[in-house]
Amino acid sequence: MNNYVIPTIDWTAAMPVIVVFLTGIAALLVEMFRPRQNNNVIVGISLTGLAVAAYLLASQVGMPAIDTFAGMIRRDHLGLMLQLLMVVACGLTFLFGENYLRERRMAYGEFYPLAIWSTAGGMIMVGTDHLLMIFIGLEVLSISLYCMAGLAREEQRSAESALKYFLLGSLASAFLLYGIAFFYGATGTLSLTQIGMNGAQMNMQILATAFVLIGLGFKASLFPFHMWTPDVYQGAPTNVSAFLATVSKIAALGLMARMLPVLGQTQDFWFPVLFWLSMLTMTVGNVSAIGQTDLKRMLGFSSIAHAGYVMVALLAHLKNPKVVSLDAMVFYLAVYSVATIGAFAVLTLAVRNAQEDARASALHGLWKRNRFAAGAFIVFLISLIGIPFTGGFLGKLLIFQGALQADLLPLAIVLGVNSAISVAYYLFMAKAVFVDDEELTGARVGQTSGGLKLTCVVCAAAVFGSWFFGSTLQSLLGAPNEAAVKVERPVVAQTQR
Amino acid sequence: MDYKLIWWVFALPLFGSLFQALGGKIVVDTFGPKLGRRICGALGVAPIALAFLIALPMTLQLMRQPESERAVVLTLFEWISTQAISIPFEFRVDPLSMTMVLVITGIGSLIHLYSIGYMAEETDFPRFFTYLNLFIALMLVLVLGNNLAMLFIGWEGVGLCSYLLIGFWYKDLKNSAAANKAFIVNRIGDVGLTLGMFWLVVLAAQNKDALGIVDSRWLSYDVLLPQIGQLLASKPFDATMIALLLFVGACGKSAQFPLFVWLPDAMAGPTPVSALIHAATMVTSGIVLLNRTQEIFLASPFAMNVVALVGAATAVLGAGIAFGHTDIKKVLAYSTVSQLGFMFIACGVGAFYAGMFHVITHAFFKALLFLGSGAVIHAMAHDQDMRNYGRLQKYLPITYLTMGIGWAAIAGVPFLFSGFWSKEAVLYNALNMPDKMSTFTIAGLTPGAFAGWVGLAVAGMTAFYMTRMMALTFGTDKERWRDLAPAHHDVHAHHDDHHGHDHAHGDHHHGEDTEGFFMTDEEMNAQVHAHEHHHELDQTHEPHEVPWTMWAPLAILAVFSLGFVGYAMEAGHWLKDWLAPWGATEVKTAKNISHDMLTILSIVVGTTGILGALVAYRKLPNSEGFDLSKWNPLRRAAAASFYTDWYSNKGSGMLASGVGAVVKLFDVGIIDNIVKAVGSIFGVLLSAIGKRFQTGYVRNYALMMLVGGSAIIVYALVQVMGGKF
Repeated sequence: MNNYVIPTIDWTAAMPVIVVFLTGIAALLVEMFRPRQNNNVIVGISLTGLAVAAYLLASQVGMPAIDTFAGMIRRDHLGLMLQLLMVVACGLTFLFGENYLRERRMAYGEFYPLAIWSTAGGMIMVGTDHLLMIFIGLEVLSISLYCMAGLAREEQRSAESALKYFLLGSLASAFLLYGIAFFYGATGTLSLTQIGMNGAQMNMQILATAFVLIGLGFKASLFPFHMWTPDVYQGAPTNVSAFLATVSKIAALGLMARMLPVLGQTQDFWFPVLFWLSMLTMTVGNVSAIGQTDLKRMLGFSSIAHAGYVMVALLAHLKNPKVVSLDAMVFYLAVYSVATIGAFAVLTLAVRNAQEDARASALHGLWKRNRFAAGAFIVFLISLIGIPFTGGFLGKLLIFQGALQADLLPLAIVLGVNSAISVAYYLFMAKAVFVDDEELTGARVGQTSGGLKLTCVVCAAAVFGSWFFGSTLQSLLGAPNEAAVKVERPVVAQTQR
Repeated sequence: MDYKLIWWVFALPLFGSLFQALGGKIVVDTFGPKLGRRICGALGVAPIALAFLIALPMTLQLMRQPESERAVVLTLFEWISTQAISIPFEFRVDPLSMTMVLVITGIGSLIHLYSIGYMAEETDFPRFFTYLNLFIALMLVLVLGNNLAMLFIGWEGVGLCSYLLIGFWYKDLKNSAAANKAFIVNRIGDVGLTLGMFWLVVLAAQNKDALGIVDSRWLSYDVLLPQIGQLLASKPFDATMIALLLFVGACGKSAQFPLFVWLPDAMAGPTPVSALIHAATMVTSGIVLLNRTQEIFLASPFAMNVVALVGAATAVLGAGIAFGHTDIKKVLAYSTVSQLGFMFIACGVGAFYAGMFHVITHAFFKALLFLGSGAVIHAMAHDQDMRNYGRLQKYLPITYLTMGIGWAAIAGVPFLFSGFWSKEAVLYNALNMPDKMSTFTIAGLTPGAFAGWVGLAVAGMTAFYMTRMMALTFGTDKERWRDLAPAHHDVHAHHDDHHGHDHAHGDHHHGEDTEGFFMTDEEMNAQVHAHEHHHELDQTHEPHEVPWTMWAPLAILAVFSLGFVGYAMEAGHWLKDWLAPWGATEVKTAKNISHDMLTILSIVVGTTGILGALVAYRKLPNSEGFDLSKWNPLRRAAAASFYTDWYSNKGSGMLASGVGAVVKLFDVGIIDNIVKAVGSIFGVLLSAIGKRFQTGYVRNYALMMLVGGSAIIVYALVQVMGGKF
């Protein structure tokens, strides 16, 4: 007790997460007091809360990096950007989600608090340097997601997807927790920075790293921990799939970007592992996507492949941090997210008579009956393929460039080949939109709600905007030179062994 | 006068075209067909005439400038702009471009005026003027553009207009086929042109520094061309290839052997179109191109020799085929081919100015002849077969007189008519081609001299077949259409613009829309009645002289076909000095033949031709009657264009199927199989493996995770054991 120091508290740094969390509670309270009413108020509150959080995050951009709450919360540029991305992605899924839930006759108000809390969990994950906080954040994120995946409780597939996600998620959490325990055992601390500086028990540290990577690999759906992804994306309600594919993925990949640079001592171990995993992830994701007939499944595999691309950007940075910055990764996560949310949003049009059937045939003739949605869908697909004049192209170009600059030629080649393979199934989706041999029955077929329109417009604008303002955006996302910033270190629990 | 006004010269026809396209129909509907068409016609002529009135004083002003200041470059906007190159949309006002502008707008406005009368009964009147005005605008881009990219806009643009106008009566399959033929043959030339341009661009880009070019507009003529000759002198292979490729382009557009086959078929278009596009202006683009890029051609004597010989071959072939035709427009078409050959002979011996000289004089007299033939056709119920004419001077005195002047010009009647002067200039330069420019000899002659002697012979042939045409039309012993039975349904009587069969090829079956391919019977009838001249030529027909809008242009063109034009340009080397930067090689000493000697020879040859034809065609010889079997075989072959069509079809067909087979082998055999193999490996094989693992059972997924995780941990252990850490 004699060396206990009262930690500094910086409320500003913690505020965005707190606001998001409180927004969730507020949304839940409204739901409690107005059961069986429409959710417009809840959506309004949620979006307002997210907007406030986004504002708070944006206002902190450029502030010095700090550790606060006794090292439990860290605010730095990377964290802020990732949190901002998650908040925006969450908001975008809300925009089109409400109408979709109504059409599926499952407009339960609980969805919103769950999603918001899940986002808060993700924000905690990337906003800390402390392994315990990381684990708590991950669990907050995951547990909410398990519930969200099972939202369509009367539908077998949704329940199955929730259970599947839960069981496998638990397994992954076990790995992660085990790894954290190893770290603590080896170094006696849970602060990543200090672990990174601690040379003790390298053997245990390596094992710890392996376990943590397995846990995070599951969340980021890297091969071979990706198998849940298509099943869960397919079974979960479409807006939840969009959420899963973006917020949860940003959190997991962002955490890796936060964690790995610190663990430089064991780089010789984990670098080759991740090198091969990213290669396999890209390839398996794309190749498996080709044979699919269910579009949500296909987008699931596509998200796996994109996680592989992001890993390439991350690895390039890790290999040569002085030359390759992380902005390519953050930029790609951003453009990937908007295009994916947009694509899932258009897929909500596949709902008929409260039933979901996202087989390719469900989109047949979309061009004829709904030019707007079909056009937007094509825009998102070309961004995901990476065709010029979209952010997707620029993002891929940056990753490619980074990989070459970092001397990762094999990854660059695999990335290129995979981009070519991916064209096949994206075009398959595009074809489905333009084919019109489907007899459509059911209520409100292909009706575009205002929310969906807004989502499409915002996402498409972002897709094109990120191309036209690519360099501005990139410099904005790119982390300033944080090495120069003196990070205040807590002295708590520093044990020498 | 501000040179900026040149933009109006281009803009006026363009606006005219837009107006006709968007508002023409409304005008016709509002004012009724008769008045409406007149208004449309007037508004079609006005922009061209105005453009001429702007261009004329501008040219006069340019003449007063000192020679070094006779090139003005005006930029409208940046068209293509990158760091490495900028290609502005820029015009160049200089002697060559302005000469062509005057020819295009001057003759163009006369032909527009003529068209009002000629097309008066056409229902689709505004469409005609839309195309015609657009053609003028694009032709101006071609000659005025200050870089090859702009030349290319014009080049393709006039090709398009030519296509649209040949197929103007597109409901007749024959016309559509002719339009397609013109378009496709021109594509062959354009491949050459584009390859040549690309080659030039690459070469210039590679040697930009060596050339000392700092301007980013390095494709513009004023930057590139003064430098390129020096560069090409050290790169004879590049020079020859670029020159030959550009020449292929010129061959396509200017109907040189072997790409001339489209021009005669192009006569399917309305006669004013034949006069303007397929005689006076568009077909001379090849000469303009050669004049523009003469630095390139001069760097390659071999290419020059090829140009001269191809020109000579075309001249003799065109003249030969003209003997076999009885369709008045076909005769004129082949004479155009032949005359274009003369122009290329001139360019091929380095006398580029002489090529332009012949372009100018030819533009007048050939436009005159075509318009005259149009008047005859108009008067003869759209029958084009000269065998049905005879003694028409009685009925069409003005046409006879004016066409007579055109005939005298092309036949080379000495001194008094323009054609003689330009032809003399061509032949004199050819025969006296400097030795240093020849890379090989033919029968001991330089290629130029050889081409020149061939040209002299062709001049005699020209005199003969043109006299034949005039005699069969206006002279001979009787009015042959009086022999035609009333309501005559023989196929020969169908020779008109609209349903023009070419019996010499014996392919009636795809002439008219007999299958009802485009139209129902009802529509067919409506179409026929839409043209009011559906009555056929028979013995009751009384030809009438054409209205003034048609003969006035004839009269003006006739005046300019007189000898003073040629004399003014040739005497004191006026044209040569005017086109000075393009004057190039000068023949200082009459090496082979003197001017006087050539003149005498020309007169002898020309007179022989004319007199021979006059004797031979006092009446229609039996050997040229309707019975083809009585024709002598040579003439029959000529009538079938010496089977050039057949050979080019066969040849290109064989070539295409050969290339096609190879490409197919590569494409289907190799590329397709690779693609399919890749597709099946990824799509089927790997996907199937993936699916096998993707069972949907949590236990399998968990197992997979454990296996993967274990692998990583084992790897970690191996690393640890290896003592790496």
